[in-house]
Amino acid sequence: MSRFGRTILIFALALGAVLAWLALGQLANTGPLTGFVDQLATFTTIFLGIFIEAAPFLLLGTLASGIVEVYVNKDDLARLIPRDPIRGAIVGAVMGVFFPVCECGVVPLTRKLFTKGLPLSAGVAFLLAAPVFNPIVIASTIAAFGVGKILYLRLGLTLVISTLTGLIFSAQRHPEQLLAPSALMPTSDSSLPSSAVLDGAQAGGGGESGGGEGESRPTLRDGIPQVLTVAVDEFFEMGRYLILGALLAALMQVIVPRSALLAVSAGPVISVLALIALAVILSVCSTVDAFIALAFAGTFTTGSITAFLVFGPMVDIKSTLMFLGVFKRRAVVYLILLPLVMTILASVFINLNTTW
Amino acid sequence: MSLRTYRTFQALILAALGVFFLHKIWSGTLFWYINQRFMALTLIAALGFLALAQSVLQSRRENPDHDHADEHHHHAHAPAFPAWTLVVVALPVLLGVLIPAKPLGSSAIANRGVNTTAPLTAGAAQPARLDIAPTDRTILDWIRAFNYASDPKSLEGQPADVIGFVYHDSRLTGEQFLAGRFTVNCCVADAMAIGVIVQWPDSKGLADNGWVRVRGSVQAAEVDGRPIPLIIAESVDPVSPPEQPYLYP
Repeated sequence: MSRFGRTILIFALALGAVLAWLALGQLANTGPLTGFVDQLATFTTIFLGIFIEAAPFLLLGTLASGIVEVYVNKDDLARLIPRDPIRGAIVGAVMGVFFPVCECGVVPLTRKLFTKGLPLSAGVAFLLAAPVFNPIVIASTIAAFGVGKILYLRLGLTLVISTLTGLIFSAQRHPEQLLAPSALMPTSDSSLPSSAVLDGAQAGGGGESGGGEGESRPTLRDGIPQVLTVAVDEFFEMGRYLILGALLAALMQVIVPRSALLAVSAGPVISVLALIALAVILSVCSTVDAFIALAFAGTFTTGSITAFLVFGPMVDIKSTLMFLGVFKRRAVVYLILLPLVMTILASVFINLNTTW
Repeated sequence: MSLRTYRTFQALILAALGVFFLHKIWSGTLFWYINQRFMALTLIAALGFLALAQSVLQSRRENPDHDHADEHHHHAHAPAFPAWTLVVVALPVLLGVLIPAKPLGSSAIANRGVNTTAPLTAGAAQPARLDIAPTDRTILDWIRAFNYASDPKSLEGQPADVIGFVYHDSRLTGEQFLAGRFTVNCCVADAMAIGVIVQWPDSKGLADNGWVRVRGSVQAAEVDGRPIPLIIAESVDPVSPPEQPYLYP
């Protein structure tokens, strides 16, 4: 059984155990299963809510990924992205302005850019920052909070944290240590084409596919079927993580009492931790999270609101699972911990040092 | 599984997702899941699914040669596309069909709590909506009105006519219940319950989660030092659930 197969099995067992636990609890309390059926309906409604909401954005991301696969070649990227890790990370972080994708769409796109030779530092910075550095998200943040400290803190902290994380990742000289095989650039000595290219025109013999001087750019018209084929495969590969993540998020919502999280709104540290936990559990799209944060603006500390708006788009339950399609498991752990620690430090600092 | 079979399943699942989304839009139950402002995006996604399904079928028909070459590739990368991927991607449709659809109700309140005061939107951006006639105000409008009114007492005595579900909060007296609604910013994952306290002698006789229309007059009350509305009910009538069960702040 594959690694993912095992993960799924464990996941299914855990899901079954929790459902059984819910059912038993309800039986003990109310006798008939009506409570459990209610919970199950709530769970399904939340799961479908997250999926229906995210589906258009994931489709957009997979189409962008298909366009990159077909129309962008290695040389274009090498020309545009600085090799030097520092400048590469900064360019990667702000690159999102030109790719309006949120956290569902950014993952397949980043993986495709990696296969085209995007440097690790730029890719990691892009992955973390694009869901915020994006015209739609900036507009919705302004709509919710206006042009002011929250907007500046959100953009500034996202830039710093994603750039630093990208830099730390670039210290690893061998990307294959961190990236999943499907995110690696195809090389001539490996016959491994990008897994998504199963029946695209490039799947001729493997060796040259995805890069090299021999690659010819198809005309706009001829490339479209190929773009769609790549998009379909990406949708299935990333969609499965999105769906597992949405299931998990819905389950957390049914189990974890949200009122307990919202009860701690004042402490400089605990409020930050509470809203970070909430951001992870809610797993909502970055295009609208500003409106949700608004509901806490009156009661929660400035630092905790900032943490919600900075960390939420980088890491939540569904995006974490999608990361597994791009990075090796060890790298995913760093990808979560580094931004988490930096967000907590910065947000607590904000709480302790501002009188806003 | 051969690549050809895999492609057939892909096309089927994509088409099913497209039809599922279209059905949700058509039947109006889409609003049980997401904020209405995302309807256009959902429609685009539904059409996108159908277009992708069509393109998969097309490429199967047009490239019989490719399939042969691809079998070769497929064997080399079998782990990349195991059958469970298909099952997982089909889950939204499977769960959506197998488990009867229901909007969030009182059972979802248990671990969320009900908010009777939260501003929900920034004060400056959304002034209290006093331009709406009192009897047209929703539960959300009333909470906002009290939250932003410079003198909540001035709102006292205005007539109220709201629809909400019944929720018995343990903090209330036996002659009170909460008329609640969920507010949804984005999708039901961020749903928050809000409620207005209703003074009604027969509160105990109302079942949790039933929808009621409350008519009466508004009084000012206070929770944690913040002004909130309280409706002295003249009538509480059971009604069928509204087509759009949530309010969109």
